[in-house]
Amino acid sequence: MRPYFEKMDDIGQALRKGQIKNSEENLTALKEAEKELALEHEKIRNVGFPTEKINARGQLTVWQRLEYLLDPGSWHPLHTLYNPMDNEEQTTNVFDGLGKISGKWAVIIGFDNKVLAGAWIPGQSENILRVTDLAKRLNLPLVWLVNCSGVKLTEQEKFYAGRRGSGATFFRHAELAQLGIPVLAGIYGTNPAGGGYQGISPTVLFAHKDCNIAVGGAGIVSGMAPRGSFNQEMAEELIDKTRQFKAQPPGAVSTHYDETGFFKYVYEEETGVLDGLKEYMKDVPAYNPKFYRVADPKEPKFSPEELYRLIPVNEKRVYNFDEILARLVDGSEHSEFRPDYGPEMYTGLCKIDGYLVAVIGNRQGYLGKDYPEYADYPGIGGKLYRQGLIKLNEFVTLCGRDRLPIIWFQDTSGIDVGDDAEKAELLALGQSLIYSIQQTDVPMMLTVLKKGAAAAHYILGGPTANDHNAFTLGVATTEIYVMHGETAAVASYSRRLVKEKDAGHPLDPVIDNMNKMVKEYFDNSRPIFCAKQGLLDEVVQLDRLRDYMKAFAGSAYQNPKSICPHHQMILPRVIKG
Amino acid sequence: MTEEILSPLAGNVWKINVKEGDQIEEDDEIIILEAMKMETPIYAPSDGKIKSLSVKEGDSVEEDAVLAILE
Repeated sequence: MRPYFEKMDDIGQALRKGQIKNSEENLTALKEAEKELALEHEKIRNVGFPTEKINARGQLTVWQRLEYLLDPGSWHPLHTLYNPMDNEEQTTNVFDGLGKISGKWAVIIGFDNKVLAGAWIPGQSENILRVTDLAKRLNLPLVWLVNCSGVKLTEQEKFYAGRRGSGATFFRHAELAQLGIPVLAGIYGTNPAGGGYQGISPTVLFAHKDCNIAVGGAGIVSGMAPRGSFNQEMAEELIDKTRQFKAQPPGAVSTHYDETGFFKYVYEEETGVLDGLKEYMKDVPAYNPKFYRVADPKEPKFSPEELYRLIPVNEKRVYNFDEILARLVDGSEHSEFRPDYGPEMYTGLCKIDGYLVAVIGNRQGYLGKDYPEYADYPGIGGKLYRQGLIKLNEFVTLCGRDRLPIIWFQDTSGIDVGDDAEKAELLALGQSLIYSIQQTDVPMMLTVLKKGAAAAHYILGGPTANDHNAFTLGVATTEIYVMHGETAAVASYSRRLVKEKDAGHPLDPVIDNMNKMVKEYFDNSRPIFCAKQGLLDEVVQLDRLRDYMKAFAGSAYQNPKSICPHHQMILPRVIKG
Repeated sequence: MTEEILSPLAGNVWKINVKEGDQIEEDDEIIILEAMKMETPIYAPSDGKIKSLSVKEGDSVEEDAVLAILE
């Protein structure tokens, strides 16, 4: 299959002098927006006790542990800003991402021991479930840095129980074990109750000498029967008992290494635990990249830095998706599937780090005369029409057949609406695409370049495809909403305007509400908001997008659950004709 | 020698960034059209002078309508 993949068709053109001149303002605006994002990320990384205070206790911080554990330059953080329950701690108290350990991709997650000694807090279980889903989707080992003091007792009602509560994560570990995906755990500190299960539920346990894991902690003074409430006498009794309380935490190394043997290894130094994990990762199943690469890796012909000139900050400005793609894929090369059909969607094969991937993206701008063919109005990129939906169904189905990971790019305002669109079967074709995706069983990643809106956000590889979407990225220009704020205000208040007008009432109060709604839609669709709510798994700099695509492709091909021999692929032949 | 700058789509003229007689360079943004809530910029195809403008802001234009003449 070398002739198909070694040198594919060129895509994109070098920027002209005029384009460079015209895009200076856009570049500056995007860099400014990214500075704000970087500050937000830095703030979240530094919540809790300062590093010096943790180090003075003889411990490393979660970040120091990660830095020691990971291969340099391989960290691709996810969920940094995720805080769906608006915790005062500003995080879910775990940090996670994709990274390489001993040359192998892994999903890595660690409790932030700078905050409440790594306690469970609201939103954390949802974060962990995203991480276990990621390991499952990419068939990658999950590496834990456990350091969990248990439940934050003052907010237990928000996360302790329930179908997706903190205990669900232990079932996910069991599920990964059943799937043959190892969960390796480096264990530090005191880990009672929930922390104990965080420690015991993985596959292999690497313990620091001072750690413990236990069904319950020794931190609760016992010996008082519940009496319904507290009074002065009981408070005095508690003070006495607490002063005499000298119990050591149960489940220390002396128990779980010497007696039960739950801990497979014990290390004197914190870094020893990490060395143990690194040693194990050397033996994790992983194909040599040459097994699946279709060509030697190469950088794009055009620099990813030029993305800052090509993706408009102005939300209404059209741009050329093909030029974006040319700054992201190996050699700025591709093979496009059905270029003359469904012009609003790009579908094609590209190489990322030498691996073959499928790419899907919304094209922008005017779509030419007589398109869509079923209506008497013009079509515009970003919307989905009949041909585009049929093409997507075909392409995704063939990707599933050929076992090709799919990288989606969204900038969509939705699926075409109206009676003509209904007669053109768009409702069913959208759902058909959902069926096609669900049918594939290949990993996918999504970047919402600009708009992710309406049902199109669901069907274009969005995170709602939970079994397939490994992660969803945003950039500084991302906005996600059911519809634009002004459209929503019209939908919500147009009848009210008529009523007030007919009643002879002033319109100002309604107009004020409409403008308030527009502002709320704007504020609640920004990238930082979307990342905090979990609509995005991470907001990244434009010049890091290709890194994440490489991490995705490398992970997807490290140990795939099923393969299609290159010479038995159909999609490249369909493209060639 | 003159060159007609044509509208690539049907829409409204939202903004005109030049006036007749202006010297322009290739890729300068001379007009912005609006259609279906999206802005489509019209760039100068080459260096030259705006000989005449055939539209004004707010005008509706059809596909292939002459927007300006460059010399």
